Amino acid sequence: MLELQRNVIFGQFVDTGSAVHRMDPRIKLGATFVLVAASFLVDSFLGFALLGLLAAAIQAASRVPPAYLLRGSAIFLGFLLFILAFQVLFYAGEVPEGGYLWRWGFLSVSVPGLESAATLGLRVVLLYYVTTMLMLTTSLVDLTAGLEQIFSPLQRLRVPVNELVLVFVIAVKFVPIFIEEIERLARARTARGVPFDEGGALARARRIGRLLVPIFIGGFARADVLTTAMQVRCYRGGRHRTRLRRLAASPSDWAALLAVTAWAAAAWWVPGALP
Amino acid sequence: MSGRPLIELRDLRYTYLAGTPKASEALRGVSLRVGEGERVAVVGPTRSGKSTLVAALVHLLRLGRGQVFYRGEDIAAPGYDRTALRREIGVVFQQPEAQIVEDVVGADVAFGPTAAGLPAEETRRRVQESLDAVGLPYRQFRLRYVHALSGGQRRRVALAGMLAMRPPVLVLDEPAAGLDPRGRGELLALLRRLLAERGPTLVVCSASLDGAALLCDRVVVLDAGRVVLDAPLRRALAEADRLAALDVTLPEAAALARELRPFFPDLPAGVLDGEELEKELLARLGAA
Repeated sequence: MLELQRNVIFGQFVDTGSAVHRMDPRIKLGATFVLVAASFLVDSFLGFALLGLLAAAIQAASRVPPAYLLRGSAIFLGFLLFILAFQVLFYAGEVPEGGYLWRWGFLSVSVPGLESAATLGLRVVLLYYVTTMLMLTTSLVDLTAGLEQIFSPLQRLRVPVNELVLVFVIAVKFVPIFIEEIERLARARTARGVPFDEGGALARARRIGRLLVPIFIGGFARADVLTTAMQVRCYRGGRHRTRLRRLAASPSDWAALLAVTAWAAAAWWVPGALP
Repeated sequence: MSGRPLIELRDLRYTYLAGTPKASEALRGVSLRVGEGERVAVVGPTRSGKSTLVAALVHLLRLGRGQVFYRGEDIAAPGYDRTALRREIGVVFQQPEAQIVEDVVGADVAFGPTAAGLPAEETRRRVQESLDAVGLPYRQFRLRYVHALSGGQRRRVALAGMLAMRPPVLVLDEPAAGLDPRGRGELLALLRRLLAERGPTLVVCSASLDGAALLCDRVVVLDAGRVVLDAPLRRALAEADRLAALDVTLPEAAALARELRPFFPDLPAGVLDGEELEKELLARLGAA
C-alpha cells in the first residue's frame, strides 16, 4: 500500500540530537543562505565537487541516515531527471563542430547540452539538499524563532515579520500533512474497492490526480480549524510574545558558519583562479 | 470453529516506516484465527496495534508474504485479487470521515457498488437497502450533503457504504468512539439487528469491552502489539483485574461486580449485564 511518507520527506523533522540539530537556528539559516547563494554562483564541476564534499560532511555530522534521505528524495530526483532530459534534447545553444553525439530533427544530444543540463541539475539538487537538510535538522519552534529574529530589523519598516514567518512556516509544515492526507484518502478508496496499489504507473498517477480536489478542500478545512484554534488561544501576532528558550549562538556555531562560508567562497573562486 | 479458518494471521509483525528514523513497531507477532460466522472483539489500550491489525486484514499495509490469509490464501501473494478481498471484508475505519469519498450521501453509499461494476438498478437497490438498514431513510437522506450531517449520522453513512457491498465479513474499528450515549445506543441496536438478519463474521476493535464488543462471543486482548489473552467473552470478563490493568474499560456490570468483590469474595466477575449481577447479588444477600 501507499507509504508516501517514506518517499517524500520534504518538510519533515528528524531529531537525532546531533551537533547540527543543536546549532543555533539563526546560524543554520545563515549557512543555508550562503549555500543557496553558492548553488547559484558556482559554475564549474570542480566547484560543485567541493560543495558536494561539504554536503557530505554536513550529512555525516547530522547523523540523519543517508539512505533515508535518498529514498525520501526518490520521487523528486526522478522528476528532476525527467525535466533534465528535455533540457538536453531541446538544447538551443551554440554547439561547436563535432559537438553532437546524436541528432534527429530538432532533437539532439550534444556535449554543451549535457553540460548545461548537468550544471542545472547540480544546482537544483544542491538547493533541494540544503533546504531539506535545514528542515530535517531544525524543529518548527526553532525555525520560527530564528527567522523572526533574523528579519526583526525589518519590523521598523513596518513589515509584518511575525505574520510572514508564521505563514511561511505553516506552508512548509503543511507539506507532510498533505502527504498524510493523500495516504488517508487513498486508503479510504482502496478499502472501498478502488485499488491504489495496483495497475501501471499511469493508472496510479491518474487515480492520485482524482484526489486533488478533496485534498484542496481538506486543506481549506484544516486552515479554518487552525485559525479558530489560534484565535481561541488569543494569538495576535508575535510582537507581545515572550519566549521560554532564548536563542544563543555559541562561538563554535559562529566558527561553523565561518567555515561553511569560507568553503563555499572557495568553491566559487578557486576553479576560476586555477590556470 | 469448523475446519479451515476464514481469516488467519500467522506471526504478523508490522513496523511503520521501517528502516527510517521514524520507524515505529506496531505489531510484534500476532497469530489469530477467525472462523466463519465468528464474532471477535479485539480489545486493548491505545497503541496496542488494533488499527494496524484492521489495516492488515485488507492489505492496506506493505505486508510480507505468509502473514495474512483469507480463506486459506496468502493475501500478499503476487497476483492475489485484493480488490475482491476488499469487497469481501468490509472495513469501517475509526474515523468515519476518513472513509467517505463523495459529498452526497447517496453517491457515497453507491461508490463501492459502482466501482464493482454493478448495474445501476442493482446499485440503487443496494443504496436504498443499506441506508434504510442503518436508519437513515433513503428518501430523506440520499440527496443530503455529508458535511451537513452529525457525527453519528456520518458514521452510519460510512457503515451503509460498507453494507452496500454486502461483505460476508464486517470489521469495525472503534465503532462507538466519539458518539454520545444515545448515538452509541442506536448504533448498538443497529448492529444487533444486522447480526440477527445477515449474520456476518464480525471483528470489532475497541479500547473498551463495552457496547459493540459485547456483541462478540470471543475476546482477543492486544497489548503492545502482542496477543495477551484469547478467550470466550465470559472467561475474558473473569480476568477483570488483568483487563483493568491494561486500561480496557469493562462493561458496567462487570466493573461493578469487581468493585463489590471485597464484600462478596465469591461474586463471579464474568457477569454480562445488570440483570445477571442483580441475580447473583440477591442470591448472596438472601443467604446472609
